[in-house]
Amino acid sequence: MLDAYHISLLTVMGISVTFALSLNLITGFCGQISLGHAAFLGIGAYGAALLSKAGLPVPLGLAAGALLAGAIGAVVGLTSLRVRHDFLAITTMGVGFLFLGIVRQQDALGGEMGVSGFPGTGLDKEGFMVLVLAVAAATAAFSLYLKKSWLGFAFDAVAEDEDTARLLGVDVARFKLAAFAMGCAIAGLAGGLYAHNVRFIDPDSFGFVESITVLSMVVIGGIGSVWGVIVAAAGLSVLPLWIQFIEDYKLLIYGGLLFAVMRFSPGGLAGAVAAVARRGRTEP
Amino acid sequence: MTALLEARDVTVRFGGVTAIDGVSFAMEPGELLGLIGPNGAGKTTMMRAITGVVTPDQGTVVLAGRDLKGLGTAARIRRGLGLSQQLVRPFRDMTVLDNVALAAGHAKTAGPWGALARVDRSAERDRARDLLDRVGIADVADAWPGNLPLGFLKRLEVARALALDPQLLLLDEPLAGLNQIEAGQLADTIVDLNRQGLSIVLIEHNLGEVLRICTRIVVLDNGRRIGMGEPRAVMADPVVRAAYLGEGGGHAAA
Amino acid sequence: MLYVELFLQGLIQGSIYALVAVGLTLVYGLLRILHIAHAGLFTLGGYIGVLVTDATGSLALALLVAAVTVGLLGMALYRVCYEPILNKPPFVALIASIGLFIAMEEIYRIVFGPYGLSYQAPPLQDSVVLWGMHLTQAELAVMGGGVVVIAVLALLAEKTRAGTAWKATVTDPQMAQSFGIDTVRVRYLNFFIGSALAACAGVMVALMNNLVEPTMGSVPSYKALAIIVLGGLGDVRGTLIAALALGVIEAFGTIYLGDLMDRDAIAFAFLIVVLMIRPQGLLGRKA
Repeated sequence: MLDAYHISLLTVMGISVTFALSLNLITGFCGQISLGHAAFLGIGAYGAALLSKAGLPVPLGLAAGALLAGAIGAVVGLTSLRVRHDFLAITTMGVGFLFLGIVRQQDALGGEMGVSGFPGTGLDKEGFMVLVLAVAAATAAFSLYLKKSWLGFAFDAVAEDEDTARLLGVDVARFKLAAFAMGCAIAGLAGGLYAHNVRFIDPDSFGFVESITVLSMVVIGGIGSVWGVIVAAAGLSVLPLWIQFIEDYKLLIYGGLLFAVMRFSPGGLAGAVAAVARRGRTEP
Repeated sequence: MTALLEARDVTVRFGGVTAIDGVSFAMEPGELLGLIGPNGAGKTTMMRAITGVVTPDQGTVVLAGRDLKGLGTAARIRRGLGLSQQLVRPFRDMTVLDNVALAAGHAKTAGPWGALARVDRSAERDRARDLLDRVGIADVADAWPGNLPLGFLKRLEVARALALDPQLLLLDEPLAGLNQIEAGQLADTIVDLNRQGLSIVLIEHNLGEVLRICTRIVVLDNGRRIGMGEPRAVMADPVVRAAYLGEGGGHAAA
Repeated sequence: MLYVELFLQGLIQGSIYALVAVGLTLVYGLLRILHIAHAGLFTLGGYIGVLVTDATGSLALALLVAAVTVGLLGMALYRVCYEPILNKPPFVALIASIGLFIAMEEIYRIVFGPYGLSYQAPPLQDSVVLWGMHLTQAELAVMGGGVVVIAVLALLAEKTRAGTAWKATVTDPQMAQSFGIDTVRVRYLNFFIGSALAACAGVMVALMNNLVEPTMGSVPSYKALAIIVLGGLGDVRGTLIAALALGVIEAFGTIYLGDLMDRDAIAFAFLIVVLMIRPQGLLGRKA
């Protein structure tokens, strides 16, 4: 049987994998960069926590948090129809700051103090871990399916060249909004699980650093690669827990890794593996 | 018989510059219509007004009796336009076959949720292979576009446009950048497609090939229509000759 | 009176933003890189300013040392970090730059400690009365210095050969090269000037707050990004106007919108609203 330490480790891992895969849907599959994705983790977390505090059953609270995040995500996705690339990066970063700035000033949302004391899921630690891992596995399965579907096919086209995708009859706007809605809804679900795992949420848990952390998981795993992102998210999320001394240098390592991967292997882990495989094939 | 495509008094201005000025023309189903003119005559702008990339300041474009005003590019493609672009833009992260298969699956990519529900690509890949065969590049179906010479990519553009099952195929300078032999061969392919019943608008700089294969031509100069009709008769018109000779005369070598 | 006070506060804050943002916009104009690590250089300028002033007692020397050291470091950053990835997709340099910035902040924390440094005897703290308002000399120097430096820079870009070479390189690097402009030198010069200005801004901000912290660059960094987007990316004059405008809007916003959102959120709300109406930025021309 697993001890409490490993149960909490796996739970953190599962939430991170779900969260990273949700961004991979938007940035990896559909090619729309987001520097404010933690806001949607936050929307889901606040939605789930406040609704269950208001008396809604936990599963409904989780679902409502996810739907809310997805709906707001679709609205934010509208900005991707107006601005592209660098402008979109800055705009989504702005959305992240907007979320924090609004939550901080609203007493109804707990303000700077955050939200605590909301009812739990009723599951024990192990049961909750199983729930989290099931959600992560379902998200991974959904990602793999999506990649094979015609939606994934059209996303490939949108990610590479919007104008040409349009000339092949792909209604680029609707596809982008779908990516934002799905990715943000899944992020919201991850946020709800995060809230129930930690049992306390405050604005600082969903700031710019978290947005960058999740982006680094996607980038280091290899943008668009489901397996790469799973490995990177699982590894990077528990690395600080495993090796205690890292916690103090966590950000330095994240920063350094992000830079090093972009500088030396822009394809991330998946890109590096593919490159090694190619070399293996060409060498006798 | 109603016209398949009709441009009515189309005017496009960019800032203070009038790129096309009150141009009208119509084409019947089954025609192979050449749209020609010297550099800067407004050919590409006309094409963009048809595909919805630019919005005319005045006038309308009508496809099969339907005004296209207010429709985006993707919606126009879904109403029966197919376009091959002047500057080839293949998806370099997909094989040649998948480039065409994606276009062939236009019914499946009509909306995101429908696309999510469908996985099977075999029918579209079969159709893509047929189309690659029709434009003569079936043997590179599994190659990556990044490694292919321009002649192949030009044909890939045409195959992708055909895969949309268009009522009307718009070809924007498909022969540009090809050598004489390649150009002649692709022009023959275009004639074949037209004989099989496809209506085509050909925008082209290569006057020799246009005069050889088109059934009718429209000539633009400085944004205005200066000629329209049977190719030889139009080219005999002194106004048209002057427009071409004034630009250097080289193009009139046909 | 409140209006004047808010307006002046806004201008002071806006001048700081402008000094940071101008380097960013120079880099973006030339290389299309969102150089987030720029704010790390701004923070380093603050540290050097405090250390040199405390050691020598001369603020002028501190400004000079900070500008030259950080300017050279900026050039090195370009050579080592950006040049090899210039032809990769744009997000590559952006993410690399974010990584670099986070790492820089952490290095400052580890080297200089998490609580920051203060001047032992901060210069320019005497009070000056302007339109009935009490400002410190440091605040006035920031406001005046920022506007003058950037105006001079904009003028240089218009009137001098180096400015012409810079603009030519921005518009069409290949064409510029064929006219005999050394585009590589233009890039180094670009990084030197932008980084040196950020260092000066760091020294002055450290003086105004009498504090340098490892995270001092975070807020200016993100704000500066908003500003260069608002100003129309790569436009020095637009950046100056956008920076001052944002400073003033924040100052008024915290009074009138403070219950709804905090200062940072006001800035980005303004950015998002502007971009939705004018995707090319406040002053940018349509592409």
